[in-house]
Parts: sequence; structure tokens; C-alpha cells
Amino acid sequence: MSEPRLVLQVNGSSHSLAVSPRAPLLAVLRNDLGCNGPKYGCGLGECGACTVLVDGLAARACVMPVGAVLGREVTTLDGLAKNGVLHPVQRAFVAAQAAQCGYCLNGMLMATVALLAANPQPSDLQIRNALQHNLCRCGTHLEILAAVRLAGEMLAAETLAPESLAGPAPVDQALAAGQRADGAKARAP
Amino acid sequence: MTSAEMPGNSPGAAPGETPGDPRGIAPAKALAWRSRAEFRQAQGVLLVLRDPPRPPPPTPGQPPTVPGNPAEGPEVLLALADDGQVVALAGHVDLGTGISTAYAQIVAEELDLPLHQVHLVLGDTGRAPNQGPTIASTSLQIHAQPLWLAAAQSRLWLVAQAAARWALPAGDLRTLDGAVLAPDGQSLAYSELVAGGHVELMLDAATPTKAPADYRVVGQSVPRQDLLAKVLAKDVYVHDLRLPGLLHGRVVRPPYAGLDAGDFVGRSLLSVDEASVAHLPGFKKLVVIGDFIGLVTEREEQAEAAMLALKAQWAPFTPTARLDDLAQAISANPSTARVVAQQGDVDSALAAAGDVDGNTHGKGARLDRDYVWPYQLHASIGPSCAVAQWFDEGSDDAQAGRRATVWAGTQNPHVLRADLAKLSGQADTAIDVVRLEAAGCYGRNGADDVAADALLLARAMGGGVPVRVQLTRAQEMAWEPKGAAQLMQVRGGLDAQGAPLAYDFATSYPSNGAPTLALLLTGTVPAVAQAFEMGDRTAVPPYAYPHQRITVNDMAPILRASWLRGVSALPNSFAHESYIDELASAAGVDPVAYRLRHLPDVRAAELLRATADKAGWKPHTTPQAQPVEGPQGEWLTGQGVAYARYVHSRFPGFGAAWAAWVADVAVHRDTGEVQVRRVVVGHDAGLMVNPAGVLQQVHGNVLQTTSRALKERLPIDPNTQTPQAREFGAYPILSFREVPTVEVLLMPRPGEPALGAGESASVPGTAAIANAIFDATGVRFRQPPFTPEVVRAAIKPLATLAGGSGPGGQAGASGDSPLGADATPLPLPTLRAAHPLQRPRRWWALAGALSGALVTGLAGLLVGAWGGRPAMAPVVGADAAGLYRPEVVERGRQLAALGNCISCHTAADGPPGAGGRPVVTPFGTVYTTNLTPDVPTGLGAWSFSAFARALREGVSRQGQHLYPAFPYTAFALTSDADAQALYAYLMAQPAVVRATPPADMGFPYNQRALLGLWKAVYMPAQATDLAADQAPVQAPVQAPEQAPEQAAGSRPAIDAAAMAPGAMPEARSAQWQRGAYLVNGVGHCGACHTPRDALGGEKLRTAYLGGAMVNGWEAPALGALSRSALPWTETSLLAYLRHGAHASHGVAGGPMAEVVRGLAQVAEVDVRAIAHYLVSLQPADPDRSPASPEALVARAAAGRGALLGPSQRLFESACGACHHDGDGPKLLGLNQPLALNNNLHSARPDNLVRTLLEGINDPAFVRIGHMPGFAHVLDDQQVSALAAWMRLRFAPDQPPWPALPEVVAKLRASPSTR
Repeated sequence: MSEPRLVLQVNGSSHSLAVSPRAPLLAVLRNDLGCNGPKYGCGLGECGACTVLVDGLAARACVMPVGAVLGREVTTLDGLAKNGVLHPVQRAFVAAQAAQCGYCLNGMLMATVALLAANPQPSDLQIRNALQHNLCRCGTHLEILAAVRLAGEMLAAETLAPESLAGPAPVDQALAAGQRADGAKARAP
Repeated sequence: MTSAEMPGNSPGAAPGETPGDPRGIAPAKALAWRSRAEFRQAQGVLLVLRDPPRPPPPTPGQPPTVPGNPAEGPEVLLALADDGQVVALAGHVDLGTGISTAYAQIVAEELDLPLHQVHLVLGDTGRAPNQGPTIASTSLQIHAQPLWLAAAQSRLWLVAQAAARWALPAGDLRTLDGAVLAPDGQSLAYSELVAGGHVELMLDAATPTKAPADYRVVGQSVPRQDLLAKVLAKDVYVHDLRLPGLLHGRVVRPPYAGLDAGDFVGRSLLSVDEASVAHLPGFKKLVVIGDFIGLVTEREEQAEAAMLALKAQWAPFTPTARLDDLAQAISANPSTARVVAQQGDVDSALAAAGDVDGNTHGKGARLDRDYVWPYQLHASIGPSCAVAQWFDEGSDDAQAGRRATVWAGTQNPHVLRADLAKLSGQADTAIDVVRLEAAGCYGRNGADDVAADALLLARAMGGGVPVRVQLTRAQEMAWEPKGAAQLMQVRGGLDAQGAPLAYDFATSYPSNGAPTLALLLTGTVPAVAQAFEMGDRTAVPPYAYPHQRITVNDMAPILRASWLRGVSALPNSFAHESYIDELASAAGVDPVAYRLRHLPDVRAAELLRATADKAGWKPHTTPQAQPVEGPQGEWLTGQGVAYARYVHSRFPGFGAAWAAWVADVAVHRDTGEVQVRRVVVGHDAGLMVNPAGVLQQVHGNVLQTTSRALKERLPIDPNTQTPQAREFGAYPILSFREVPTVEVLLMPRPGEPALGAGESASVPGTAAIANAIFDATGVRFRQPPFTPEVVRAAIKPLATLAGGSGPGGQAGASGDSPLGADATPLPLPTLRAAHPLQRPRRWWALAGALSGALVTGLAGLLVGAWGGRPAMAPVVGADAAGLYRPEVVERGRQLAALGNCISCHTAADGPPGAGGRPVVTPFGTVYTTNLTPDVPTGLGAWSFSAFARALREGVSRQGQHLYPAFPYTAFALTSDADAQALYAYLMAQPAVVRATPPADMGFPYNQRALLGLWKAVYMPAQATDLAADQAPVQAPVQAPEQAPEQAAGSRPAIDAAAMAPGAMPEARSAQWQRGAYLVNGVGHCGACHTPRDALGGEKLRTAYLGGAMVNGWEAPALGALSRSALPWTETSLLAYLRHGAHASHGVAGGPMAEVVRGLAQVAEVDVRAIAHYLVSLQPADPDRSPASPEALVARAAAGRGALLGPSQRLFESACGACHHDGDGPKLLGLNQPLALNNNLHSARPDNLVRTLLEGINDPAFVRIGHMPGFAHVLDDQQVSALAAWMRLRFAPDQPPWPALPEVVAKLRASPSTR
């Protein structure tokens, strides 16, 4: 049975897909659109690993059907960097080294983007409240909290002086520090 | 052949971004070599190899090791290619610890290369060396050694080559940034030195490495190498591997969750019904081998659906042991005592000390203590996933000796390969395990299990088709090898001077090797519990006890278990460090001073002192009663200390880093809540390759240990004795608000060997927290986790607290009434009121006659009297659409929406209005009819008269009585004009050919003729007249100014004249009349909200809109009997009906969602009229306090401190992301106060329970948001406890719901349709 085509707006592009409107948004983003950012963690909206932005609000992609985002703009971590330039929140997480295994990282980043959009200068308690239901098992909370604070500062600085502080592409900065940006896997013998 | 390329169409790629390295540098060429053979055939490369280490002699009591296979030839450790890039290979994998970065630093250091020119390949069995499982903090301490040597040896070779070319002494040359430099300034890049050749060096263990003083990269903090790819959402994880043609698999696990030994394992599957899934979309294959069940489908969500739909029969099983009392369960588990250390004469020393806890002055004191560790979970954030391909016999790959490739997030690639070989009957060399990153694992989670599952499914598909298997959250938690429970028993005491007398320590650890699950489920290996000698890690305390005996009781597993961070050392140290603290306290000596007095290890003492100093330790000899915090001084604060050196691996093992903790805690005097406020941790790991990495690992271990100490205990299902946690609500982990301040003291020891770092920091943590709680409260806790209910029970009698739950108990689970309210069942309210439009006849006598008639066989006579009606002539070729003005059609559209016509007359996934939706009644199932103007199957042949008769009299065109599932008793009120409008609208819709399935009613209800009699009883008299006369004017039969209590529950009189636009209001306003008309007519609210009698008629006289059950949902009482926390107002009801939600009442769920969707299409003036009318039914309630919403929310929240416990944690973790009082994230969808939600205040729990079980899959509007159902992850007891807790928390004024477990079981057994 062929499904009627749905049109999704994801990371600034329009995609027409023949999938059931009841398919989980997470599965469609990952399997039909090749997004790696949102992750399956619990399927119940408990852990936040699947977080995406829907019209700028944080949303748990594992508990909503794809039909619920028709006519809405979906942003995933995959689409956060623009023209090879990291989003300030990504930059802050790199600077604060805010990941161990990194599986929860998607949710932490996207929740932070949503938080700072709504509240550019959150207090420590507000940050904790906003991330309260994004679970991290490796215990990277301290680095993540530092990254959110740093991201707030970076965004504030960019708002004040967007030209002088936009700076060089941070991907290059990070690479200069010896990091690799390749996924570097998909290894088939 | 498989392509490693990712499919295109990725919206992830930012415009202009090129794949791969953004600098445009080609990736290291050696990364492309997929096998040892390819490395060894390559040109332009320097390789360092080693022969596979000889297998160690079998060690009894240890899990078997998997040695390297000599047939595979030498192992490759390092490849320096002519692109100047190095690929280093190691057998240990990066579990998020940053080990790949540290390895790269080591290679860069010894080779004098820039860090970014070093690339790591970890774990791949086809090319990386076999270094065993990544466990026990040995990755740097032991398994980095070959890399140090290989890099150093490569550098020496490069220097020698340059020396030969230049004819200079090697000693005059130096290396820098990938080149050899001569004193005269000339240089040769490494790439030039290896170009054109193929050189193999065998690893020389005698190779000199750099002196630590010369390190430039090692010892420096460098950023993690993996982070950039992760923040850019590259395809880093095995979960992200999407090969072309990928199929999706799911497994179905047996009911004996988490048990891996016993007769039933692998032998319990009785039958599988393939037909239950074979018809599902995308279905490819069902694989059943023994107790292994797997499914393959085209799409992932199809696999998930098939997994849930599959019907399988399992034999009952007998649980291994009761786990309610862990100490008892472990004590009863057969064991072999093994004394691993003994000195002095423990028994004599203890005999001299007198009785336990006896106050024998002058002779010392006995102090015997038991400590119990719970089962805990890895609880990795990402459930395990793997991808596999199977190559058929005769294929090119098979000819080349390769039968399978498995991509896995395993922690033990070579061990896994051996398991996969065993499972598939192939040689290990025929299977390639490619290790990719996965969610953090701290021992052994489901990564190996799912790899084997994927292999089995890929083999069933064959042909090299890649199959991806994703475990569910529930499967991961139920089946992962647990961190084992453990019992530590100490007999000891003090001498007369307060010094330790003796230490008789016995530890019991029911661990095992946790065989890969598919091996057991398929019966490939027997499911026999095997005892391993693994309880001995850090079993010997660090203190100098004059007499000491350390006994390890080796025992087989109870639950499937394996190592979890700290293995048995962490519980053993919890006992050691709690006990020494108890001794210090008994001796009246400061805990730090007492430890230092008896701690012979100088490095340990130095660390402990430094840590205590940094923490500002205040020496004390009794619990400090430190200054209390809070307005009422309700927070008691305390400080605790502990120290350990993690000694791991086979006894006597290796010492990893030293670690000491000072923890500051606050304990709530009333609620028992423990907050860890600050942890100062000292850590001495010798040389730190990457201090930033060590710091991060220490942080991680401190927080994970805090989580384990405060929160983590695997709940056990009391019925099956198996793990009850299938999601994070039943197994909560540390959240951001619980994160303490952490201050780390890294001891600078650059000249010392590098020791296992990070994990060590977790080992003393739990004791430090327990000791701090003692300091705050004077109470010792010897069994983590230190949850509020446990602490509360110990420091304050439960009886004084409202709503508490006992230790380990479930708040409210038993329907107890901690608030002191009576647990009386509250049935749906029944009203004593009359339906004003009812015929003034003794209708009950008729009903009685009907029943009697049925019994006595008089039905036929009655049918003769009341039976069929004449058929109406068909209309041929009617084009009604053209007959009516657009505004009439539009009016009909609105009426149809208001009456929910199209929604009800649409089957699931069927065309709108074409009927076929089943309506399940107590008398059988009827199907809604096709309302589209199709002639044979729809209304195409219906004249308006036939339509109006059906609508208002319940008679089909053909003259048959219609079942009252079609609410014609309400539609009878429809005015002519409205009936015409409806007809006009329906006739204007596209015709759809769809026959209506015949009704499936049992006898006698299948006798349609009897319905005539039914109608005589239940049709409103005036309505029938109205339909007959087509005269809308109607005299009120009852005065509107009747007594309020009657008005509250009976249908008021309706002035039909006022229904017409422009009509003059009489006793009531036109708006009220309009509302009444819509509610009682087209809107047919009573069809759901008025209870029905035994014959299915609405109890309009006695319980008008008094609330009823519909399709398993409670349609609550409207108006007077509404139990909402706040009374409905016209404004709130209007908003609710228009938008499907109101903050003061909640969300329109269940069948109401589609009603609201319909109302959204109706002119607001009509919906407002409905709201106006319904609210008018509410009498003023003098008892109802005029509280504000905010005040009600605050009042409900005020009691939450007393409700801390398992159910509260379940709610917070499972529901709290979306449902909170403003102290959580702002997520898409509504977060309305549950304290105001009508369902929480209802007399019945049905709507809440149903929502918990089924979620909200189809909200009235997407802006409301979706909610997952929890039926598959919470059992009846958990749902009952959660519902009971929510009642206490959010409707504290309401009595507890009675018989919740029964309600939950009933609702689970009868899921609501659509």
C-alpha cells in the first residue's frame, strides 16, 4: 500500500516523503532523511536524546508522529551548523568538552538552543530546570552546565557585536587543536 | 559489495559543506585498509607488528579468555604511510572515556608527530590486535604499552633510515613534527622515508621510550578527538550506520527477563503465530530458534509494530530465587568460601572482645556489621544496536573466507567474535566484527547480545542484505547483564584503646560471565549458572588490622549479571570505608585522623590529607550537628570522608589510581531527602596522559556514583522475581538539579607510571556519602540507595508523615489512605431527576413488558405492532448538490461537524464519511453507514424525506429500524431547516463506493423489528411529533424556574421557537435556547454523557448528563456534577470545546478529542451557546471555595515533600519532562497543571489510567501535544502506584481511588478502540 506523500520542512529544506503520518518523527528523520543528530534513547520522551526543534521549541521526536510536524519547521542538530560554521552552542560544547560517549549530546545541544532562544541569560537553576529531563549516564553534567553558560555568553557577545566576534570558522579552530570532523566510520571491509 | 557511503538526501549537510574533512585533506590512507592482509600488502608503509600473545594458561574461576588466532598471523599495531599519517591499532575500545585521544597522544609523543596526524582504529577484529575485553581500567595502565613501544620503535627506524641516507650518526639526528632533522638543518619527512617501500618491524619489548621529562604531548591537556564529529552529528555511532538496502529487525524476548540460568532458558517457547504479523506492511521474515524470536521488516517503525503485534505462547517459569530481601537471597545462594588473605588470629581476638556491641569497658568492643549492595543497571542512554550482513555459501565473500560482517558497539570485540562463530558454526576468522561507537557503557550492556541477534536475522535474510537490530529501552533494561548485588559482612571491633581489633570480612558476589544471550536462547550453550571468582576485587581493606581474614564467597549468578563500573570493588570499599568510619566513631576519634592512624600506604595518606585539606575538613569525633539550613532548620548538613585504591583483575590484582572523597550532604529532617551538595575528590593516577581527560573522567565517576548511591536499585517484580525496570521512571538516574559541586584534586605525579584513572574515583564515593549522612543525622545507612523513604524511615517515624511510603515500598500502591480518607468506592453519580420531554407514560412498565415479552415468546406479537415502517422510494440521479444554496451547504457542514457525523461515519484509514467504523455496544457491534451520495452503498438514492426520517425517527429508507447507536433520539430534535442543511451538505460530498458491513448483534438484539418497541419507550414524544409535523415550535413541559437540585440533573425545557435565528427569547435567553437545542439535538452530548439503562436507553429522567462510560472512557458529568477542581465557566468551557484543552480542566482526551475537532469547524457563536447552556446546569455551590488556579496548584504542591518515594520518582522521570509546575523544560505541547486536571479529581480513575496506558496518540489538535502510552513498559502494579500517587499529589482533597490494580488490569485487557 503506498502512502500519500507528506511534505516536511527539515533544516531549511523541503522533503516529500511517502510515509505514514503516524510513523514516529524520529524514525523518519533518521531513516528517511539521514539525520544522525536525534537519537533513540527511550521512546517515551523521558531521556531527551531525540530532541529536535519544532518551530524553535524543543520537542521529543520519539513520541510524536511525523504527521504532527506538517507545516512546521523542524531543525535537527544536523542542520545547526551553517555554511560550515558551528552554531555558538556547538562551539561552546566543544570548548567546554561537554561530552563523553556523546549519545545524549544531541539532546543537550538542542535543549540549550531552545533554552537560550527563550531565555538568553538563564540562571544556573533555570539551566538545570531546562535540562532536568535530558539524561546523561556518563556524568558529563558539569561540563554540560559550563557549556550552556558559555553558550549564553557567546550568543550575548554575538548579539552585541555580530561582526567582530563572529570570528573565523570554528571548525577550523577546532581542527587546529587536532580534532577531526569526519564521522570516520561506516567501515565495511 | 557493500558501499560504505551514506545515502544522499541528507538534510544534515549544511549547504556548501563537503563530506569528510572540511580542510580538504584526504583521510589517512591506512584507514582504508580493512584487514591485516591489506596492511601487509600495502606499499609505502612502515608497519609495526607483533605475534599474537601466547594464550595465558586457563585460570580457574575466571571467565574464559579468547586468545589471538595464530592463523591470522601477526597483529598490526601501527602503520605509518607515505601520506605522513599514522594509524594506530588497539584492542581496547573507547566507551566515551576519551581513551582514543590518550592513545593518540602516546603515539604522537613517541613519534614526534602532530596529534592530528594520528588516527586510531579500536577493536575491529579484522585488523586491531586482540587485547581482550575493555574492562578494569587497564586500557592505559597495561594495554597502551604496545603502542608506546611501537611508536618509539618506528621513530628509531625512521632516524636510522635518515642517518643512513645522510651518512650521519643516528645520535646526531632528532625528530620533530613528522620529520627527521639533521644538525645542518636539512630534514626528511617521515612520508619520504617510508615512500615506495613496505617495511615490517616486529615489536621489540626492549625498545627505549622517552623519559617523562621529555614529554611534549603526553601530560598535556588536549581536546577530545571525537567531539567535533559528535557535535556536527556525523555518523559516529553504530546506530547511525545506514547501509544501502538496510532492513530493520526487532527481537521479542522471553518472559523470564534477566534470567540466564535454569531449565526453562531456551526451552520455554510453546508457539509463535506468524499470521499475527505476516500481513503487516513491510514484513519480511520471522526467525524462531529455540527461545530466540526476531522479525525483519522494511522500515524501522514496521519492525516495532510487528514486535508488539507478534503473538507467542510461553511456558510458565519458576523464578530462581526471591529477591525481596537481597541479603537473604545472597546468603541462601550456594557458595564456595575462599580465604584470600589471612593474618594474625582473628577468632581469638574477637572472642576476647566480648559480645557484639557490648559495652565492655577495658576489654574493647565488638562491632559486627552487614552491608548490602543492590542490583544496579548500566542504564546506557542508547539501547544497544547492531548491523549485520551474512554472505551465502558460494558467494564471492564466502569464497574469500568471509561469511559475516557485524558492526557492533561491543566492549569486547574479539570475545564477541568467538561467540558469533560459536552461534553460527563458523570459524572465527570468517566473521568480521567492526567496532563502532555506541552509547556509554560501564561494563557490559546489551551490545554483544544485539550483535548476535543481528547476525541471526542477517543469516535468515542471507545474500549480504544488511539487517539493523535495535533493542528497545525495555529490552535493554530487562536483559542487560546487571551490576550484581553483593553482601559484605564484617565481624570486628575495637580494643580498649579504640584501635581496630580485627577484621573478619566476608564478601558474597553473585556474578557471572553473562553468556551472550542468543547462545542461550538458541540452546547453543547450556544455560547453567557458573560461579566465577570475581568478588575479590579490592576485598582487602587498606587499613592495618592486626588480625585479618578476607573470605570471598564465590557464587553463581541469581540474575544475569556482569561487571559494572567498580565491579565488586565498589561494594567492598563501601563496606571497608563505612566500617572504618564506624570504628572511628565508636573510638571517639575524628574519621580522617583515625584512618590516617591506621593507613600504612604513604601515597594514600598523602592523598587523604590533601583532599581533607582542600575540602576544609573539620575534625570531629561525634556527628557534628552542623548548622542547619532552611526557614525551620529542616536541612541537616554533614560531611563524610572515604578513601580507596581500586584493585582490580584476578586476585591479588592490580592497583589503579588512588582516590579519596569528602562529601558534603544535606538531609531533610522531615522528608528524608538527601542532597549531595559538594564533593571534593582527590585522585592520584600517576602520570596523566591527558589531564583534561582524567579530570572529565573523575567528574563522570563522581556523578555516576552519586547517582548510584542516592537513587539506584533495580526494582524486582514481586510476582516473577525478575527486573521490573523497563524505562527510566522505574530506574531513575541523576538529574541536573541533583548535580553537586565537584572539586577535583589531581595529584601531580609525572614521573610515576600511568595508572587506570577515573573509575577509581567512583570506588570510595558511596561510603563518603553514607558517612556524611551519619554526620548529619547520627544514623548509619548500610544499604544503598539512600532514597528519601529509606532515610525518612530511619530518622523519623513514618506515622507522623502524610502520604509516605515505607522503605522500598510504593507510595499508595495498595490504595492505602495516608491522608486519612476513607477508601470507599465511589460509583458514577446517579441523579434523581426527570427528563422533561419524556412521554408522560409509565415507560418502565413497557420496558418490563418488553423483557417479559422476550422471555415468554410474545415478541412476535409485539413486532407486529411495532415493527417495520414503509420503504421510501429511491431517488435516481438526484443532484442534491446543485439544489441548495452554498450557505445552506455551509450550514450543513457546520452541523455535521457539530454532530461529529463525518468522523463517526469514517473507518480507520477509510475515506471520510463512507462509514464502516465499528461501534461496539453491550449488545453487539454495528457499523456506521456510508453517508456519501453513492447510489448503491451510500445515500445517493435517498430523498430528503427518507434522510429526515432516518435522522429523526431512526428508520432507514428501506423502512428498517436503525440501531440507536445512531443517536436519533437526540437528532429527533433537529429542525427541518437543519435537517435540510445536513442533507444538502452530505449530498454535496464526493460519492464513495463502500458497502457497510452487516451489524453483528446477538439475539434478540439482531431482531431489528424489536427496535420499534424500544423506540416507543425511549423516543422523546415531542421530538417524534416534531419530526412528524415538521413543526419546530414546542411548548415547555416543565417550568424553567424549577428547584435547583432538579434542574441540576434533568433536561430543562426547550423552547424550540428560540432555536430559530431571530426568535424571541422567552423564559430563557435565545443563547440558552440555542445551546439547549444543540446540546440535546444535533450535538447529542447525552449520547456519551448520560448513562444508559440495561436496554441502552439514556437515563434522561434520572441522570441527565450525569456522566457515563463510553468505549472504556469516562464521559464525565457535565454541569452540576462535574468534579473538576475549579468550576466550569462559560469562558473556560468555550475555550475547552474550541481548543481541546483548558488550563483549569485539562485536555480533551479519548473520544472527546474528535468531538472537539468537529466543534472547531463550527461558528463560535454556536459553541458559545453550548457552553452557556451547559454551564447554566451548574448550580451555585456554596461549599466550593473560590480558590484561584494558582492557589490550587500551590496547595497541591505543598504536600509533595511528604510524597517523596518510588512513585514520585516514577512520575518525575517518566512524566516530568512534560508535566511540571514550571520547574522543567519548555517543550512543544501543552503543560497544564495536573492539580487542575478533571481526570485527577474524578471519582473514577479510568481516564487517568487509560491515558497512562495508551497515551494520547491522536490529540484534538497537534498543538496540544502527544503522549506515549506506557502499557508496554509499566506493569499493573506500577501503573496503580503511579495513579495513586498522582491522586495524592494533585488532588489531595479527594479520597484515594479504590481497587486501582483491578481497574488497571481491566483497562489493560480492554484497550480502547480508535
